[in-house]
Amino acid sequence: MPFYRSIRSRRVRRKPKELDLQLTSMMDVMVIILVFLLKTYSASNHNFSTLPGMKLPTSGSPDVPADSLHLIITPEAITFENQRIVEFVQTAASLGDTEGGYSFKTIDLREDGRQIVPLYDALVRAREKAELLRAKSRARDAQGNPLPFDGVLAIQADKRVQYDTIRRIMYTSATAGYKVFRLLALRKEI
Amino acid sequence: MLKRPSSRRRSSTAIVQINLIPMLDALVTLIGFLLFTLSYLALVHVETLMPQVSSEQLEQQLKEKPLQLTVSLREGDVQVWSPFEKFATKVIPNTSEGLPDVQAVHRAIVEVKQQFPKETKVVLAPYGGASYDVLVSLMDSVRVVEPTDPPLFIKNEKTGNDEPIKMLFPEVVFGNLLGDS
Repeated sequence: MPFYRSIRSRRVRRKPKELDLQLTSMMDVMVIILVFLLKTYSASNHNFSTLPGMKLPTSGSPDVPADSLHLIITPEAITFENQRIVEFVQTAASLGDTEGGYSFKTIDLREDGRQIVPLYDALVRAREKAELLRAKSRARDAQGNPLPFDGVLAIQADKRVQYDTIRRIMYTSATAGYKVFRLLALRKEI
Repeated sequence: MLKRPSSRRRSSTAIVQINLIPMLDALVTLIGFLLFTLSYLALVHVETLMPQVSSEQLEQQLKEKPLQLTVSLREGDVQVWSPFEKFATKVIPNTSEGLPDVQAVHRAIVEVKQQFPKETKVVLAPYGGASYDVLVSLMDSVRVVEPTDPPLFIKNEKTGNDEPIKMLFPEVVFGNLLGDS
């Protein structure tokens, strides 16, 4: 038996449904994420990175470091501004040792082992570059002279690095014109 | 005469819809950029200055005999002392794990701060084999005020009011950069 549609149902033709996504709620979420990211973004004004496998100590200090020249010390090497400048000699005791046994190459040291030669050269180059940029900059002090070199060095060391190494680095940096050292650590979660 | 057709069917309220897709595109791009460039490393710093001594300053110091709070980190213990004997020397032995007892050092430092609230400098003299981890924890113990510490106040010279002390001895200087002498 043939199927006949009623006259009323013939008249009302169903329109194909339009797929209408509700974007308003998604926009709300996006805006919240954006505000959060912008707020967090403004808080970190440094560009410090770390090396893979590096273990940093934690500190309860409230001071957040500003951007400056950056030195990374691991039991394997010293890296200054992303350039590996000193390689340590791994001592026999360091193989599988958690204390990180290492020593400097004799050729890298001078002044009775206090000064690290490649580090001194790199620091002097960086200071000269910074002073040149300051001389070309329009920023001047009250007397119209270029702003003096701030001499700030951020030191980021592995937990296992010994004070003897840090002492040599600080001495070398001081002879190269750096007077302020910022020892970096991870923020302690309270 | 024909009846006027009903207006009910024809009067449809127009829904105003804002095109959110370009805005969403911009937001996704911005969030992607921020996530990519965001620094996830929550770093803090402990500042230390290179010690500088002038002959005039030294003469003045010898006349006045300042506190010159010194924390000597040795292999077996930590010594909190003053070269001018402004307070009794304290020797704090290491913990059973062989690490410096930073809590005990902190308590000793708080006691010194109670006696000398205006003093801000401390000289640190660790032995060569001390690890960076130990150095940072020791520097924290002499600088940062813990919530469990007894209340520490300092008189503001301008206002005459007592104000809480926020840092113990924030100016840390290493006293043996030239060697273990």
